Amino acid sequence: MPRYAMVIDLQRCVGCGSCSISCRNENNVTEGIYWSHKITETSGKFPNVRYHYIPTLCNHCTNAPCVRGCPTEAMHKLENGITMHDPKKCIGCRYCMINCPYGVIYFNWKDAHPSWRAGNSVIKEVTASPAEEVRKVGGKGTPYYNPERDATLPGIRPKGVVEKCTFCDHRVKRGKLPRCVEACPADARIFGDLDDPESQVNQLLGKFRPFRLKEALGTEPAVFYIRDFSSAGYPRTKGGI
Amino acid sequence: MKLQLWIGLLIIGILLGLWTTFRVYTEGFSLYAKTDVLVWTLPLSTYIFFSLTSAGLAFVSSIPVVFVIKRYEAIEKRTVYLEIAVLIASFVCLILHLGSPLKVFYIILSPNPSSPLWWLATLYSLYFVILLSAFWRIHTGKMSKPLGVLIFVIAILTSTTLGWLLGMTDARPTLNASFFSFYFPLTGFASGIAVVILFSMVSMHLSRQEIPDGRSALYNEFGRLMGIVAGMVAVLFLWRTISGGISSTAVEYGAFKHMIGSVPYNMEFWLGLVVPTVLMLIPSIRATVWGKVTASFLLLVGMFAGRLEFVLSGVVRPLGQMAEGRPEIVSYMPTVYEVFVALFGLSVMLLIYTIGERYLKLETAPE
Repeated sequence: MPRYAMVIDLQRCVGCGSCSISCRNENNVTEGIYWSHKITETSGKFPNVRYHYIPTLCNHCTNAPCVRGCPTEAMHKLENGITMHDPKKCIGCRYCMINCPYGVIYFNWKDAHPSWRAGNSVIKEVTASPAEEVRKVGGKGTPYYNPERDATLPGIRPKGVVEKCTFCDHRVKRGKLPRCVEACPADARIFGDLDDPESQVNQLLGKFRPFRLKEALGTEPAVFYIRDFSSAGYPRTKGGI
Repeated sequence: MKLQLWIGLLIIGILLGLWTTFRVYTEGFSLYAKTDVLVWTLPLSTYIFFSLTSAGLAFVSSIPVVFVIKRYEAIEKRTVYLEIAVLIASFVCLILHLGSPLKVFYIILSPNPSSPLWWLATLYSLYFVILLSAFWRIHTGKMSKPLGVLIFVIAILTSTTLGWLLGMTDARPTLNASFFSFYFPLTGFASGIAVVILFSMVSMHLSRQEIPDGRSALYNEFGRLMGIVAGMVAVLFLWRTISGGISSTAVEYGAFKHMIGSVPYNMEFWLGLVVPTVLMLIPSIRATVWGKVTASFLLLVGMFAGRLEFVLSGVVRPLGQMAEGRPEIVSYMPTVYEVFVALFGLSVMLLIYTIGERYLKLETAPE
């Protein structure tokens, strides 16, 4: 059985956000919830400043604190290392959100896609309302509803339960790459089997010095980051007093 | 007439709670002042307040059985009944905290023993059944010793498991386990004594009963015990402030440092701990009914605020990607619906108690 992991090459990542947008489309993610997101930082003092962009998603930790804490095993590990969630068993206690050090688990505070349920049109009897739009195209919740998501998880998660990235387990099951990996125009996301010494993931991990988020907590994330983007150079110096 | 007015007020509290329940489960939890950062707020802190108070009451009710101090049997029946009422109030608040409470049967169908939450749910279910049996035994004769011991053990387990539950979160060291596994039972004990004093005194005052001499000495003893425990808690509270709020350099403690200046923090320390300790350590005040009532009431108000302070100190600082686009510390003000949840729990508890006081002869001591 493979053990899946992802390498994110920060030198290749241009911060375009197509991973996040493709994820939303693939997984019918509602507004306010981010299965794929980012952490941005600014370092230095003006005018010498630099912007850092780190794409984030569920780390599918080997020692997942969310799984350990879930009272009903709604949050569980699959044999292939993916941390999966079963909304049928979720009681909505949000203990996984408290336990997750990465802030990647979200709670459905209300019914999903509220803006697409609105019945009012912009220009009455001229334009269609969002709800009519959804009906016309035969969508379910949204006009761009992806029925493939239903294979392993309710296509749209109900209110009162949590949700998070699943490494697109429904695609992986069919031998396809996660949608964010496929959609990345810079090939900054590399997905593969950590137990296969020849996998591209392992080749990259052996070539560069990887880091993972909050490694000191011992959660053993399966998302690795390599390199960093910087085109900057500087004249050789020893500084000064 | 006064009783009818009182029951009317409690029914209003319950109706507001039922209305909140209906709205929360039809419209969603966006009615609460919750965000993806503030995942635990007033409904959960109220649950913690009630559940720890119930555990504290269990310690008090177990004293005659576990430590064979017979004079405490005089308040055993009322204490066990209060435990039940307070525990039901905690369940009410918990239900309104959970996103999908109807699925709780998965705790049995799909158990996860590595989860402290699973243990807590299991222990509380057991605790409730044992409490009902214990009350029945007292009502029909005398408390059974095995049941009394079991209540004592389960009260220790539930209050310490709550500490484990929050302390297991390595990502939020402000909820540190080793500290709260001790702090929770102790503060619960203080709340339990305060509830016994407050309800006994007020019940006797309302029924215009004179406090018998023996009973009066017992309540004074309780007052002194409450002062001692509140004083001990105040010392622990200061250590927590020094270790987490001043000496720690960990960035995660920024949340707790923020809470130190907050209203709930100061309410817990000054109203809930310092004032009751001082009041109960002065013999002339301790001997008065108003002194004991004031001290126990303030202690409970302080503990209620303290539970909120504790929960918020774990969540106000966003973690990981949740911090994106958010301030370093997120502010919190409960919505009216969250206040209704707390009011719902309190009204249910008071109504159950009022019914018991009227029909179940809670004053009765075993022969």
